[in-house]
Amino acid sequence: MTMTPAARAVEVWKVYGTGEAQVQALRGVSAEFERGKYTAIMGPSGSGKSTLMHCLAGLDTVNAGTVYIGETQVTGLGDAGLTKLRREKVGFIFQQFNLLPTLTAAENITLPLAIAGRQPDKAWYDTVILTVGLGDRLHHRPSELSGGQQQRVACARALVSRPEVIFADEPTGNLDSRSGTDVLNFLRDSVRQHGQTIVMVTHDPNAASYADRVVFLADGEIVDEILSPTADSVLDRMKKLDRNA
Amino acid sequence: MLKAMLRGLFAHKLRLILSALAIILGTAFMSAAFVSGDTISKGFTDLFSTINEDIDAQVTAKSDVPSLEGGGGEALVTKVVPQDVADKLKGLDGAESVTPQVVSDGARVIGKDGKVVASNGPPRLGGAWPANINEDPNLELRLGTGPTAPDQVVLSANLAKSAGVTVGDKVEIITLQPRRTFTVSGISGYKGGRDSLGGETFVYFTLPVAQELMLGTTGVYSNVDIKAAPGVSQETLKQRAQAVVGDGYTVRTGEETSQEQASGIQSFLSIFSTGLAVFGFLALFTGAFLIFNTFSMLIAQRTRELALYRSFGANRGQVLRSVLLESLLLGLAASIVGLLIGFGLGWLLTRLLRSTGFPGGALVISPWVVIGTLFAGTIITVLSALAPALRASRVAPIEAMRDAAKPDKPLRRLTTFGLILMAVGIALLILKGTKTLEDNVLTLGGGCLFIFIGAVMVAPALSRPITGTIGKLVDWATPGRLGVRNTGRNPRRTALTAAALMIGVTLATGAGVFASSVKAGLSDIFASELNADLILQTDFTAGPTAGFQPALMDQVRQIPGVSTAAALQTDGVKLANRDEFVVATDAKAAQTLFTLEPREGEIRELNSGEIILNDGFATKTGLKVGDTATMQTARGEAKDLKVIGILASSQVVTNPLISPADASGFRSPLAQQAYIKVTDPAQIEPVRTQLKTLVADNPEVSVSDPSAQIKQATTFLDLMLNVLNVLLGLTILVAVLGVINTLLLSVFERTRELGLLRAIGMNRSRMGWMITVEAVLISVFGALLGMVLGTALGITLVKIFGGNFLKLTIPWGYLIATLVLAVIAGLIAALLPAWRAARLNVLQAIAYE
Repeated sequence: MTMTPAARAVEVWKVYGTGEAQVQALRGVSAEFERGKYTAIMGPSGSGKSTLMHCLAGLDTVNAGTVYIGETQVTGLGDAGLTKLRREKVGFIFQQFNLLPTLTAAENITLPLAIAGRQPDKAWYDTVILTVGLGDRLHHRPSELSGGQQQRVACARALVSRPEVIFADEPTGNLDSRSGTDVLNFLRDSVRQHGQTIVMVTHDPNAASYADRVVFLADGEIVDEILSPTADSVLDRMKKLDRNA
Repeated sequence: MLKAMLRGLFAHKLRLILSALAIILGTAFMSAAFVSGDTISKGFTDLFSTINEDIDAQVTAKSDVPSLEGGGGEALVTKVVPQDVADKLKGLDGAESVTPQVVSDGARVIGKDGKVVASNGPPRLGGAWPANINEDPNLELRLGTGPTAPDQVVLSANLAKSAGVTVGDKVEIITLQPRRTFTVSGISGYKGGRDSLGGETFVYFTLPVAQELMLGTTGVYSNVDIKAAPGVSQETLKQRAQAVVGDGYTVRTGEETSQEQASGIQSFLSIFSTGLAVFGFLALFTGAFLIFNTFSMLIAQRTRELALYRSFGANRGQVLRSVLLESLLLGLAASIVGLLIGFGLGWLLTRLLRSTGFPGGALVISPWVVIGTLFAGTIITVLSALAPALRASRVAPIEAMRDAAKPDKPLRRLTTFGLILMAVGIALLILKGTKTLEDNVLTLGGGCLFIFIGAVMVAPALSRPITGTIGKLVDWATPGRLGVRNTGRNPRRTALTAAALMIGVTLATGAGVFASSVKAGLSDIFASELNADLILQTDFTAGPTAGFQPALMDQVRQIPGVSTAAALQTDGVKLANRDEFVVATDAKAAQTLFTLEPREGEIRELNSGEIILNDGFATKTGLKVGDTATMQTARGEAKDLKVIGILASSQVVTNPLISPADASGFRSPLAQQAYIKVTDPAQIEPVRTQLKTLVADNPEVSVSDPSAQIKQATTFLDLMLNVLNVLLGLTILVAVLGVINTLLLSVFERTRELGLLRAIGMNRSRMGWMITVEAVLISVFGALLGMVLGTALGITLVKIFGGNFLKLTIPWGYLIATLVLAVIAGLIAALLPAWRAARLNVLQAIAYE
């Protein structure tokens, strides 16, 4: 039995601008992101890795090609459809944390459920809270938390609604290395222990080494991939890409 | 550097325009008030100097009795110039012509509908048709011929139109004498197509008929107009005429006559333009809050930018100056726009007034109006921006490197200061209440102002708890909860935005409480002291000469079921050297009807030469029972009256009572009111029917009862409340602008948060709902503050002016309506910001720095 991938891009083209200023950010990218796997998307600046993620997550539209999240075709959905998709099937983690300053950590975590009007699954909520390891700081406002703590709250927020896929955009970009490691471990554990699917965009080879698979993008095309990467093997490929470019 | 910073200002066009709108509104109202006032005033001056072109001196009889209308130019003539005095003037040295005239107020024409043609202020003149119409400098015959027989009249064109009659029609006219039927022989107007000077109507009779009907007897005149021969000045002519007629007559120059005539009409005009100007000032005051808020927000938002300039080496003065310059430019631009709109409004207003008979030419724009308006609008803007500008100048260069979001400064100092101000205000009101300090401006004005400003300062500390509590109503859904939290986020901003609304609501609520207390007080008085079941009431717009024959009471007393009835004849006289209204009536009947008690002496039917004083007049003059007071009536001779009694304090009868026999010198021989008591309540309706038949031929008199009287007595209060409601509406309009402004900024500041909410699944309509909650909370907060403050001030005023006259009553319906209005205002204010928020592109919003 073959399972549908958690997210899938088929011949996706994304073009910005027109005429002289035209930039082809994605040039016929096709990729599948397996369920229960942790995939990193890497590539030099301007390679189209963020664009790919935005298109996969339905945050950006594509010029050609098709994107699926699970069984759902993302391309062609209107605002209401996209909202429903984001509410039910997708979780996000951003470089800037993006927590609401007026809500406590706990309220931020349950916000997606509150928006969807769903009750949190108590057992799952407790598990998530436990893994986040905020303890007594759960009822503090974001301004009273450290960067690492804030990003873990953001991770918990993405996990709590059990989305088909979590998209993480440079989640460690704003953190010191220790906090960064915490967050990366946390993400890997949620994949290993709870079967969560994560797609992460990063330019940090060390961050990528936590993934099960690394996909390399250059000039809007997928050029390579590594399974079970290490920091060194990723760095090697990156160097090669830079040389080719 | 300046250029760069100004560019920063214009980057926020929408927000600036919104706050400038308040200034525009204020300056527009202000300039419209002055421009239209000036234009109409100029129109009148021009008009009267044209009309009085042929009058170089005018002789009238002197009256000791005060004018009923307050101003000097009473149109109802009670003292006349006899024929022999007019004849003496005929050969006056230096006069080219001497023309005796007959003109007086009180010619009431009954229209096609059987009712007296109403006037809302201007007199209804009756007079003699000029001997030779073709030589008259102003008047012209538009249709038909002049009156040649005693039963013919000429009507002014505006009167003929309102009455619905034309040449050849029969028309009934009430004058000093009861109604008489005339035939319309012609229609008149002024030269130049004008129907009237200021809305007045005119009936022209033949000379003897005019003398008899308007002045009471033939062979007398209301005034004598004199035209000077070439080379004789007005002043010389005046002195010569004065020498001829003696002290009993007033002689005015033509110029003085014009001023006299214009003054009466202009007092009405000044009420009107003062009202407009108050609107303008209020809008500016409200606008000041808006400007202050906008600049505070712009500065907060541009902290980084300002710090960057500072780190480049800009000094504090430069930053301060550039922000002040911004406000100056904004204020000036807004004032110019406001001024232009004001000219437009003023033009419209004068046009509108001209269509109701006011004079008016080209718009009169005095340089002072232009300078004053521009100055007021600009200075208010600059002053409002001063505090934010100072804050901007204190931005340290280091803040360019820090995150812009700083925690709010604590509110303790502001709140303490506000509480102190409120305490000072309350202390002032207490001083007034205990009569320690009597100065109204200081105690009442100062007290209310201190309390108000204090309240604005305390408001930020209250905003979170209050909006949080109201917010419980919408807390059940996530968008609602987020909206509530956002409202509590910046207490200063929320409170300042709400303060704009608070101004209008405080004023309107305070007045509402006062007005409803007056109403309730009046009703109580009528219920407890008025012992009458039915009232005959003369239409008060019918002028001082309307009414019914006091002898009608004999017929009223014959009606089966009537137990007591008294007619009241009221007129202004000079009594014991004071200007006073006295009532001629059957004092015995009045005692029953108004539950009067004697404080001294007795109450009984008055004989000629006797008077009963009311409590207040006796206290003022120190007159006692047995003393004598001299009364001078408008038409009669002075007469000594003996005090036979003094009334105990009464809320219904607040004037001295005299015998009807002594009322023969009153302006009008008619009674204005009659109070009737029936034997038992079942008789009320049959008696009412009988009374209606009795007065059926007198369209100026209607049958009323105490409850209708209460309504009538409180119409002026309703009018005042209506004006205040318009005021409230205006400030709500300005407040809505403020809420829009604040929310637009919030949406802008929270772009990333909004993006995130969309990213994790919030749809557009819920996002709008979230913004709407915030808007409604802000405006409801403002309305609540205003209502509490206004109610408190209203109660204080009632307590201070209290007495028995006021009965503290809270107008709950009015308060609820205000609250509903605030909710609606919030909903409207939310539209634009909510639309903006919903339209945000999710991806761009999240990536937004």
